[in-house]
Amino acid sequence: MSSKFTKEMVDDYADKLLIGLTEEENASVLAEFEIIDETINTINKIQDIEKVEPMTHCLDDFEYELREDEPEESCALEDILKNCDVTNGREIEVPKVVGE
Amino acid sequence: MGKYKAKIGLEMHCEISETKTKVFSSAKNEYTEQANSNIRPVDMAFPGVLPVVNKEAVRMALMASMALKCQQPAYMYFERKNYYYPDLPKGFQLTQETKPIPVGIYGEVTFECNGEEKRVRINNLHLEEDAASLDHYDDYSTIDYNRAGVPLLELVTEPDITSAEEAVAFLEHMRSVYQYLGISEADSKKGQVRCDVNVSIMDENLDENDPHNWGTKIEVKNVNSFGGVRDAIKYEIKRQTKLKENNEYDTMEQQTRRWDEESGTTIYMRSKVDAIDYKYFVEPNIPKFKISSEWLKEIKASIPRLAYDRKKEYMTKYGLSDYDASILVKQKDISDYFEETVSLGCDAKQVANWTNGMILSYLNSKEISINEFFLNPYMLKELIDLINAKTISSKQGKEVFAKVLEKQKSPQEIVKSEGMMQITDTSELDQIIDEVIRENPEQVASYDPERPKILDYFIGQIMKKTRGKANPATASQLMKEKLNDLQK
Amino acid sequence: MKYMNKSIEELHEMLVKKEVTSAELIKESLEMSHKIQDECNAFVTILDDAQPVEVTDNLLSGIPCGLKDNYSTKDILSTGSSNTLKDYVPFFDATAVSKLKAAGAVFVNKTVMDEFGMGGTGTTGHTGTVLNPWDKTRMTAGSSAGSAAAVAAGVYPYATGSDTGDSIRKPAAYCGIVGYKPTYGMISRYGLFPFASSLDHLGVMTRNVKDAAIVVDAMKGIDKNDMTSWDSSHIHLRESLDGKVKGKKLCYVKEIVDLSNYENPSAELKEHIANFMKTVELCKSLGIEVEEVSVDKTLLNASPAVYVVISCAEATSNMSNLTGIIFGPRGQGDNYIEMMKDHRTKGFSPLIKRRFVIGSYVLQSQNQERYFRNAQRVRRLLVDAWKDLFKKYDGVILPVGSGPAKHLDGSKDILDKDTAVLEEHLQIGNFGGFPSITIPNGFISNLPVGVNITGNCYDDANVLNIAYALEEAMDYKNQIAKEV
Repeated sequence: MSSKFTKEMVDDYADKLLIGLTEEENASVLAEFEIIDETINTINKIQDIEKVEPMTHCLDDFEYELREDEPEESCALEDILKNCDVTNGREIEVPKVVGE
Repeated sequence: MGKYKAKIGLEMHCEISETKTKVFSSAKNEYTEQANSNIRPVDMAFPGVLPVVNKEAVRMALMASMALKCQQPAYMYFERKNYYYPDLPKGFQLTQETKPIPVGIYGEVTFECNGEEKRVRINNLHLEEDAASLDHYDDYSTIDYNRAGVPLLELVTEPDITSAEEAVAFLEHMRSVYQYLGISEADSKKGQVRCDVNVSIMDENLDENDPHNWGTKIEVKNVNSFGGVRDAIKYEIKRQTKLKENNEYDTMEQQTRRWDEESGTTIYMRSKVDAIDYKYFVEPNIPKFKISSEWLKEIKASIPRLAYDRKKEYMTKYGLSDYDASILVKQKDISDYFEETVSLGCDAKQVANWTNGMILSYLNSKEISINEFFLNPYMLKELIDLINAKTISSKQGKEVFAKVLEKQKSPQEIVKSEGMMQITDTSELDQIIDEVIRENPEQVASYDPERPKILDYFIGQIMKKTRGKANPATASQLMKEKLNDLQK
Repeated sequence: MKYMNKSIEELHEMLVKKEVTSAELIKESLEMSHKIQDECNAFVTILDDAQPVEVTDNLLSGIPCGLKDNYSTKDILSTGSSNTLKDYVPFFDATAVSKLKAAGAVFVNKTVMDEFGMGGTGTTGHTGTVLNPWDKTRMTAGSSAGSAAAVAAGVYPYATGSDTGDSIRKPAAYCGIVGYKPTYGMISRYGLFPFASSLDHLGVMTRNVKDAAIVVDAMKGIDKNDMTSWDSSHIHLRESLDGKVKGKKLCYVKEIVDLSNYENPSAELKEHIANFMKTVELCKSLGIEVEEVSVDKTLLNASPAVYVVISCAEATSNMSNLTGIIFGPRGQGDNYIEMMKDHRTKGFSPLIKRRFVIGSYVLQSQNQERYFRNAQRVRRLLVDAWKDLFKKYDGVILPVGSGPAKHLDGSKDILDKDTAVLEEHLQIGNFGGFPSITIPNGFISNLPVGVNITGNCYDDANVLNIAYALEEAMDYKNQIAKEV
């Protein structure tokens, strides 16, 4: 099937997500894309679909209060760093960041 | 620039520094040197954490929105801006794109640049969160998450600015607005203000209302001081003008550049076609919330008069000079002090002189704010009244001012306890004048009413005897009368 | 097994009467944990040092239970069954965990799941496939696979689960137990590793409806750390179970249940539907009115794609925090991009990677309108369709899946265009945040099957009560899996 989805496109998307894909993984993404795209085509045929307000939240008739501006104690340094493989003093270390 | 005119737009990011907590977490919003000491789990995106919106940050953002004459939304949402960077623990920033409506859209700012009134349209104002801060070393970088989640206001202008000076004047105006609203110190030294600048140039004789005539938009990112904004704009205008002159302008692609403080140049980052797709979508963890009209009314009522309006008023209503008015409105608490003293019934010019002179220099020398200043508006009125009533001389006024601050007592008390009441009582002065005449027969003999210069000498003698307490005008009058009498 | 096959109320009574101690219950539960670990591979962690707690008035006090491994547990390994978090030990408890702790619940293990909940087979966890205790060649379904297997096998009376599409309610059916997800926001999501935030629900798996009510009574409540949580202090689920259902109204959807919708229906499917219709008749005999209703088939057929688009989009963003910088094994690389990419490439299973790429694609600015926003629009239409039904009916009753647990070798987790809506309709309960409960309603090929009742938001007590009455009228309450 000729498709608007290509292997290169899939790899590019994966790369932007900082994920590497094997050939096999790439192929299965392509297969699923085709199915989704087909279903989406049916969706697009629903009359006046564009007039429906997208449902962005699960309960969207929901009212709630905002948080009062009251500080809570900072987490212990030991706690926040304990799952980190590379720390430096009180901070987390990463390879030198250059660029933006 | 000659044949070209510039169109400049600004994106001004300003931290809200005056909330107690961060925008989506209850960690303290406070600048500190100690790394990773203002942290809640949300700030480092540990698995399972959820954002919880700070009401005060929203209130302040709405206040700013109103001060910029923007429209406020009926419902508010936040959106995710997705990208990967080591300073962004969640892998997305919570922000507000223009759809749905952010905290403010379509406003207008009037400000002053070199005595001229300027207007800039505001496209939108949105509330978002700051990223963590990175420190760079030779071989590695380190991450401090204290800043992650600090509330940030991003203001986006239309490209209505025409010069570097105007851009800086706008930013200074906005800094003052944020300070007056009590939402931020807006201190670029603390990294609280950061800007992106859009610059394009177009032929001067073309109609700027027609977008076809506009040049290619160049975005300069990460300009972190007002001076940097000025220099980056000047550099870009020069660079783009040169491209025009070399006929290279039309092939220049829309691009993002970065301001390099050290070299004073902008450096190419990426082309428009390589722009990152941030895949914005509405944050499902923050339900939409209604901004009630009652709340908006309440917020509106709490907005103070801003510097720009106060300055105008000081000049027209009180006749103050541009210079004096500018100094008075520079800081809101100083301006408030001035206004309170005037409201007590003092002459505005006198209050301005005291405030801009003795008071500001005292505050500066002690490095304290006017809120920590002992001499309150009531005392300043007392002091001015004492002088106006000639109870003390202006010169003595300055002494009293110093003593008030030194002894932490009111001007009245100081004048009393220091025996600084001016001698205006003529009988007391009579005696002293008689003494001076007795002690200086030669000078008395040389007195010539046509050339009364010697009079100063006599006043000096009187002051010496009264230790400065004689009212100079009264003493001078009495002395003249006596000498004239003697001559007859 | 002396105790762990009993209900919560029975165990509580025994504890109060001192016929048994908390320590004895824990001991048996741990023994069972090791046995079921060997047989079904249900656990990421078994907490051999679980300590007895004081027995109080609280029904849960002193009784062992399991937690799905996407619940953040302080000082206890919490992996989400992912290599990206294989050594992650949180320093804070999920709100639901704190609440269970406060009730006196004793945690004896963390259960295996499909990686981060993003699967429906129980085969994608980093510790391997979970086997169905009824038949080890079959899957439990997922993602709450370990919890379902353990509760079915009698490791304890209950284990927590989470449900984004059907992750509690489908494995419950495959394992012959009760699976209940309450209204969205009734239980705080704080500390639950997210899959798709607008669809994620916490819930519980038990062997009877009352136990499910008891556990959710303890887990629920408004939470300052979750803005989407709401105050349910007026709702007392256990107390509201009275079994009085006469005059209640249910409906089932013709387009889902009618065999004529399926080309070449299998024998199992036919049996499954017939069994469902028997349950419908049973409901009627209890005085419940049950009617057939019709829903726009285009909408129903779109549902699986709507689910994939929305859940993958939210997931790809939710899991962008998994970079190995703050937690998780640090990736190799000379710069931060390589380092993050190494962590993510090695850490995620192929299924998850695929879903991320799909999620990212549908969110791209040029695609978002066509895919993501349209999916959100159809979500609303489906939710509105169900809400219309709730105007007239107390709930929608439907069969779960197309039959009993599937064979493991045939497992697939790719969206299949031929996938019957029958397999996927439970997602609508997540779209609308509806309270939804699966209970066992029979056997096909000697394997359990389930029926689901879904009601309107905030109407949990009503939904549970109908399930409670129906359960009472059938023979599958408190059943323990036996190898067939």
